[in-house]
Amino acid sequence: MTGRAGSRAVTDDRPPAGAARPAETARRARARLLGLAASRPVHLGASLSVVEILVCAFATMRHDPRDLDRPDRDRLILSKGHGVWGLYSVLAELGVAGLDEPRAGHPIDGTPGVEAATGALGHGLSIGAGLAEAARLDAADRRTLVVLGDGELDEGSVWEAAMFAAHRRLNTLIAVVDRNGMQQEGGTEAVLALEPLAAKWAAFGWRVIETDGHDCAALTGALRTARTPDDRPSVVLARTVKARGVAFMEGSAAWHYGQLDEEQLTAALAALAAGERGA
Amino acid sequence: MPSAVPTAAPTASMRPAVARVLTEAAHERPGLVVLGADGHGLAMGVRSAFPERYIDVGIAEPNLVGVASGLARAGHAVVVGTMAPFLVRRAQEQIRNDVCNPNLDVTFLGVGGGLGYGTLGPTHHAPEDLGSFAAMPNTLVLCPADATEAAWAVREALDWPGPAYVRLGAREDAVLYPDTEPFDLGRGRPLRPARDALALAMGAGVAVALRAADLLAADGVGLGVLALSALKPFPADEIRAAAASTGVVAVVEEHLDATGLAARTALALAGTWRGRFLVHALDDRYPPVGDRAELLAFYGVDARSVGSAVRAAAACGGTP
Repeated sequence: MTGRAGSRAVTDDRPPAGAARPAETARRARARLLGLAASRPVHLGASLSVVEILVCAFATMRHDPRDLDRPDRDRLILSKGHGVWGLYSVLAELGVAGLDEPRAGHPIDGTPGVEAATGALGHGLSIGAGLAEAARLDAADRRTLVVLGDGELDEGSVWEAAMFAAHRRLNTLIAVVDRNGMQQEGGTEAVLALEPLAAKWAAFGWRVIETDGHDCAALTGALRTARTPDDRPSVVLARTVKARGVAFMEGSAAWHYGQLDEEQLTAALAALAAGERGA
Repeated sequence: MPSAVPTAAPTASMRPAVARVLTEAAHERPGLVVLGADGHGLAMGVRSAFPERYIDVGIAEPNLVGVASGLARAGHAVVVGTMAPFLVRRAQEQIRNDVCNPNLDVTFLGVGGGLGYGTLGPTHHAPEDLGSFAAMPNTLVLCPADATEAAWAVREALDWPGPAYVRLGAREDAVLYPDTEPFDLGRGRPLRPARDALALAMGAGVAVALRAADLLAADGVGLGVLALSALKPFPADEIRAAAASTGVVAVVEEHLDATGLAARTALALAGTWRGRFLVHALDDRYPPVGDRAELLAFYGVDARSVGSAVRAAAACGGTP
């Protein structure tokens, strides 16, 4: 990638940093993530499900891993902060330095690539709405992406922000929901039903785009559509699988949080490789 | 030094004074944005002069503070003005995580902190607002006693580079200070010299302490009054020095005793001062129905209660 900060206009179509082959970047990020999970307990399921979302989001954003503070960058807030191990791993694969040391179990301010401390759920969309208001006041061509968990949508503040963003026609704001269907206690529909989710967002005044959250071509297309002009904020509902990539963990609440022993790590990496071969 | 404050002292609302400060600030600082939650009284002038720089989020305090965080992260100075009880309780997590922890430039103006909303009832009281903000690192926490001090406090908060909270009255407050009063952040103002006892007072407690001093003066008891503006930064050294000359210290505040001026004063004096420590503050009870003055009296934050407690303590010479 050649685009850097400065006066030069940067288009959305330039080659993304380290994500020219997003599926390969996602595979490497998952392997890195499993390695991290062998040295400390992490939120495995939520971090594995969000990998393609993050890879494809950064690929469509104005974002330079070598210049994370450039003022004209698009912002990405990982509101589902327990997916932070996915964020660390994807950023590291994109070439962001300084993520080798052990990091907090949720995003904290001051970490390279982290735009806002999150993890207390239901905060990110409001912060994103504020960033979008700032972009409007500053007449800046800047997008704000907020990655939400589906369980997170239980929080009322998400819907305060959703109502506000639509009312204010914050059309540079893009929400992406990691719709893996699971939360800590079990399935989202069993704990607190979210469906009909697309209709809910539409009723709140958002442009709704549904996609497979692991198919990089479809996901990238959805994220690009979300950037096209509209007078509404956009939400991408990305259907995902909890703990995606490791067959024996997929869709299981048992792998919500934990640490891998040596045997489990070997098995998980083998499952990841087998999944790739089978794909 | 102000004169005595009789019962029929003139009063004024802090809100128009603060609205003028915000309007001036909006003219001086092009990046300043003011947010409200279904109420723009404080932003009246800003909204007229710069409609694009006033945003009403509706009745949604968590979103209010989150939006403020986003604006501040993008480099804007932000003022959030709304009713204190809903700001400090509904949005506490956003205040802590989204603004105070990253040390963003957001000024919070809490209208009707303490018992300011009086007869509207306990749902509308915020006896813990100052302590709640003071519990978060990076904050400036101010509690003005009248409209003049409120205008100064808001200017200080706007100049503070990180998060700040200013408690504002909901109705009228006694006029205590002339426009020329030289306020100084981090220092108290000795309004009466201490002879037999010293009152440490903040916010609405200042007028109460001055009235108590008047009552006691008639009996020949000299109650000093040191008025404080800030719970943070807290002038602990100054308080230790002032207390050293007296055997009776009385804290007078419209705030929960366990997390406000009384608690911080006790921490400042612990182990270094011996004497009678009197607390006239809100305690661990929900109040009955009443107007602000009645509620303050319920908690013993009134001139008669302070006067009789100080008189009794001074009669013992301050010996514990």
